Amino acid sequence: MRPIALRELAFSSQGGTSVHAPAAEVEAAGDPRPVPSPVRSPVQARDVAMCLTAIALLLRPMGPWFVRPAILAVAVLMILSPALLRSALAWGAIAVLVAVRIADDWPLADNHVYLLGYWAFAIALSLRARAPADTLASSSRWLIGLAFVFAVLWKTMLSPDFLDGRFFRVTLLTDPRFGDAAQLIGGLSPGQLAANRKALALLPPGAELLDPPSIAEPARLRLLASAATWGIVALEAAVALAMLLPAPAVGSSVRHAALLLFCGTTYLFAPVAGFGWLLLAMGVGQLDDRQSVLRRVYVAAFLVVIFYGEIPWAGLALDAWRG
Amino acid sequence: MKILAPALLVAVASSQIALSRTVDLTPWKGGGFGMFATLDHAGYRGVDIVVDAPDRSEALQVPASIELAVARAAACPADGMLRAVAEAVVARERRYQRPVSRVTLTFWRADFDRATLRPSERPVRTFVYDVP
Repeated sequence: MRPIALRELAFSSQGGTSVHAPAAEVEAAGDPRPVPSPVRSPVQARDVAMCLTAIALLLRPMGPWFVRPAILAVAVLMILSPALLRSALAWGAIAVLVAVRIADDWPLADNHVYLLGYWAFAIALSLRARAPADTLASSSRWLIGLAFVFAVLWKTMLSPDFLDGRFFRVTLLTDPRFGDAAQLIGGLSPGQLAANRKALALLPPGAELLDPPSIAEPARLRLLASAATWGIVALEAAVALAMLLPAPAVGSSVRHAALLLFCGTTYLFAPVAGFGWLLLAMGVGQLDDRQSVLRRVYVAAFLVVIFYGEIPWAGLALDAWRG
Repeated sequence: MKILAPALLVAVASSQIALSRTVDLTPWKGGGFGMFATLDHAGYRGVDIVVDAPDRSEALQVPASIELAVARAAACPADGMLRAVAEAVVARERRYQRPVSRVTLTFWRADFDRATLRPSERPVRTFVYDVP
């Protein structure tokens, strides 16, 4: 029987050139000719990290007409060609294209687009480094850690309306993307939600209602807002510390657990799957090639974030709850 | 090699904080990772437009053709951004052969009461553009 061992073949070559397996001679049934037997090489974690990044580029096309097709084309070619996937030039081009996309309508780009640009830049640099895997892992830790430090800084020190709960109290009531969760977990009725949205609508400058409506906030909703406020700060601080503290203080498993916990909970609610995919791809970039279980967990988490984004779980649960 | 990309992140994020403090750049934008940290975002910011000319003083709804410029100015109401909106308004008025001698832009944002959550619109900055 002819051996078929093509699984993970795309990642089995080294340095962009194909390395064939030792030519073990296996006799195929009815065919006396020797057949070279491909063997399964260990998957390189950084290849998976780069591949997931390319997939993320395809899942959320970005930028104006003079950037978007180029990013999509390079991402497709990276997935098809291991050589291009490991090309510093290709990742440098992605970084430049992302920078052009940011500059084109500055300052409207979301923050994860910036992080994507830094990450593509870091990949390009690592591919030119003497120790690519170590360089990529180090860059990934610093980039995630610093991004989370700034996120925590904004929430705890720079923003006047986060720690006092106003951000989530208002957002749960007014942002349609959180409406189902506000009803399902917060206990709001559809009527209360509609009335609250009306009560929170902006009036023209100087205008004031004679009898302003009050805002209904059931205890469960206040609890949800508090849990979201403090939970997100705690999670982000944990990720920042786990990434930035030196290795003896924080083990690799703690870093990955913190990042996976953050992605597994935050993107269930936060409507920014692109950020989740990017963080997970960067997390894979910190793995070494022997951590195959963690690598699979990351890939599974990447898929879970896709499902989070595509399935209106809160709406479906709400419908089921109401019968 | 290892620190170049993280150093770039720190430089951009620090600049974003500086811009948010000096020219009211929204914390949600600009690469400072201030998203989901404050209500000071596009939903609660805006730019009001008033066009003046002899025998004319009119508040304009934001037309579709300048929505992007207005969104940029609302996110970062610096002089350059507001001037771009004013120039776009003038160009549009002239296309429709309407007189315009001055464009007044008022950048506002909403504050939410800490206890009642009741919102109020607060003018932050006024930019006057006299048509040359």
